[in-house]
Amino acid sequence: MLEQIKQWIEQRRGGKIGSHDPDNLPTPKTPGEQLLTDCRLIVLDLETTGLNASKDQVIAIGAVAIRGGIIPLSDQFDLILRRPELDISETVLIHGIGPEALTQGHEIEDALLYLLEWMNGDPILAYHSAFDQKFLEKTLKAQLGYTQPHTWMDVADLMPAFFPNTKTGGKGLDNWADFFGLEVSERHHAASDALATAELTLVALNKARGEGVKTLKGLYDKLHYHRRLQKMHRF
Amino acid sequence: MASANQENDRPQNIRAMMTFLREHAPFSSMDDTHLAHFAENASIQFYADGDVVLSPDQGVVKRFYVVKQGRIRGERHNEKEDRTETTFEISQGECFPLAAMIGERPTRTLHRADGDTFCLSIGQTAFVTLFAESEPFRDFCLRGVSSLLDQVNRRIQSSAMASIGSSTSLDTPLERYALRNPIVCSPDLPVRKAVARMHENNVGSIIVTDENRHPTGIFTLRDLRTMIAEGTGPLDTPIQQVMTKNPCCLPSHADAFEAAMLMAEHHFAHLCVIDDDHKLIGVVSERDLFSLQRVDLVNLARTIGTATHLRTLVSLRTDVSRLVDAMLAHGADSGQVVKIITTLNDVTVRRVLELNIKKNDPGIPFTWLTFGSEGRQEQTLLTDQDNGILFQTPEDMTEEQVREKLLPFARKVNDELAECGFTLCKGNIMASNPKLCLSDREWDDWFIRFIDASTPQNLVYSSIFLDMRAIYGPTEPLDALLDKVLTRIRKNALFQKMLAGNAFQRKPPLTMFRNFRYISEGNKHSLDLKRQGLAPFVEAVRVFALANGVETANTLERMDELAKKGVFDPKDANAWKEAYSLIQAIRMRAHQEMLAKEEELTNYIDPDDLNPLDRRILRESFRQAQRLQQKLEVTYQL
Repeated sequence: MLEQIKQWIEQRRGGKIGSHDPDNLPTPKTPGEQLLTDCRLIVLDLETTGLNASKDQVIAIGAVAIRGGIIPLSDQFDLILRRPELDISETVLIHGIGPEALTQGHEIEDALLYLLEWMNGDPILAYHSAFDQKFLEKTLKAQLGYTQPHTWMDVADLMPAFFPNTKTGGKGLDNWADFFGLEVSERHHAASDALATAELTLVALNKARGEGVKTLKGLYDKLHYHRRLQKMHRF
Repeated sequence: MASANQENDRPQNIRAMMTFLREHAPFSSMDDTHLAHFAENASIQFYADGDVVLSPDQGVVKRFYVVKQGRIRGERHNEKEDRTETTFEISQGECFPLAAMIGERPTRTLHRADGDTFCLSIGQTAFVTLFAESEPFRDFCLRGVSSLLDQVNRRIQSSAMASIGSSTSLDTPLERYALRNPIVCSPDLPVRKAVARMHENNVGSIIVTDENRHPTGIFTLRDLRTMIAEGTGPLDTPIQQVMTKNPCCLPSHADAFEAAMLMAEHHFAHLCVIDDDHKLIGVVSERDLFSLQRVDLVNLARTIGTATHLRTLVSLRTDVSRLVDAMLAHGADSGQVVKIITTLNDVTVRRVLELNIKKNDPGIPFTWLTFGSEGRQEQTLLTDQDNGILFQTPEDMTEEQVREKLLPFARKVNDELAECGFTLCKGNIMASNPKLCLSDREWDDWFIRFIDASTPQNLVYSSIFLDMRAIYGPTEPLDALLDKVLTRIRKNALFQKMLAGNAFQRKPPLTMFRNFRYISEGNKHSLDLKRQGLAPFVEAVRVFALANGVETANTLERMDELAKKGVFDPKDANAWKEAYSLIQAIRMRAHQEMLAKEEELTNYIDPDDLNPLDRRILRESFRQAQRLQQKLEVTYQL
């Protein structure tokens, strides 16, 4: 009886989500000839205690999936991690996640395993993805000892790659969101930012289709080409 | 506890979608659990400008969409003119495709993104679940887009019901019902004379009062029947001997319920209404109380048509307004209601003319003409006089001599009509204007000048004089005149083109971005439903009607005729008729509301005051006006 109540309280507080098999996590996929109209992409956003990946921590993960060029809202990820020990005083005003939320969040290890299973090894897109990649890889390694490389793509590159010479007034997510008139329901909420990023991705994928980019590899190459072009311009 | 937390337990993106949905019909009236079900099963799609969202060749429709951002337009190919036309627009928060989804069939219209557009959509399973479980959702889907008219009518009905409910509720003070200036007589009047007075005034009772106007008795037709049947006395008997003494009296602040109870108790059909000094103010009959429940058109028309005094006509105007309420409440459409108002107005005008002829016959036969909205049989409660006289000059008189006799008569009629609520025409388009009291020959000359030497200035008059009808006197002279006028217009392509150009000037109040364009001067956020909303239809339809020899002046009937003649595509004609009727309905409802608030009637409304559905209907109706103007543009190469 006591055991049941404990379990129940655990669940109420957002404890374990299902059972995990840490030894058989999905293998990350590499960009190949998968058709963009078929494949699943993950669009992810993290909220952290700060900008320094060596000392700051992840406190919330929001992600949506894109499947065959559409965003099914049934397939999304929105969790706050349980991190009662963290000092969030510097960033609480940005992401609005207070100490109380952190004590009631999901147990970290469990949440990360769930994330890896949910992502199913599909390519991950994020806005300024280097930031999210660094934080997520660090957290996965520290908590789970997980080091498998995933395919990452930066939506901040994707947009100018398909919409060159667009006057957005800046390179931020807000600039592109404003340019396409997107309404971001709650800026700096991981899931909300992830959805805005995913909507921008839909716009880019629509353009990609028009330009004859059909496969994941095609998209990946286009991004690399764009980045090389950017570097050349810099010199 | 769990339910309080439920909102927070939902993921942010689901909450955000629910918030978005809640701002639009039918989601605004749906339960949170159903909204959540919609959001959780929804997908977001993006369509770039010009992308096809749905098309007839995609087969049976499998998803139900809501525009999240941007706009979708429906396209239809016009085979006659070989070009693509936009048949409808769906903007943020609106759903599609309703009919195809319900009918489990392919869409009949190509849906295309108009600008970059995001849509939310749910699949058939979620749709069926919501359809089965949410009543507002089911209602909305079943009513569908095609029956927007029904929704408007339903809303008009419910508000009219409310207003009827309040005016007939039995707790209304009696003074609002009581017939003022009741028919009275002194106690010594012979019965014969009293009955004559009752007959003259078409009433069933007479109140006998003393020198202080205190009611001392009542004499009704029933008393007369008893008197004759039982032979109680000769008709010369002073009325005080046969009257019912001490009639039932109620103070004016008593309510209708007390009156009804008293009548039922004593089997009285009439009650005296008195003031605090016991002086007679009025009479309430059982029929007055009853007729409040249902204003009868036939009876009202008969009452107007047989009224013997101007003041009766004036007092009957409130009944007309009440009738309009009742008609709307019983589901009459705006086209019917304006025709009924026109009919009653015609009866009133005829009666005013008859009463004046009885008093002071000018001695010359004439036809009373009405122009403009009255000519088109499209009058609402807010109406002013647009009339004229057509006469045939007797052989021994000049036209000037005829006018000398007719003008004073017309002046009196115009004034009395003003008392009845037909505002005097500011532009002096009235029969008492010597320029509008003309012989058949003079009218013909006038039209020749109007048509053959038209200038942009005199085209202003086209909306008045080209919609003409006879409402009193012989109609043959007008028929003959109209015949000539129509023939002349049909032959004169230049005049048609000028008319078309004139009609094209009246742009529906929509901006390039499909928002409402407000009138610039004065009222900042207001639309003039008559000038900006109805006039574009009326004017454009008139051009087509005159050019194609359609004789009727009524805009809806003109559209029917034009569809029959193949000038309008029947589908277009229907859409335009519906749009025109919807604007008219919204205008009439606004009038009834102003009347209820005892405000002066205007044609201005602020779209912000409308609910989202009405706003959408209005916007779509204005868009139909734009389409009609496009047809004008193409036909006359404007």
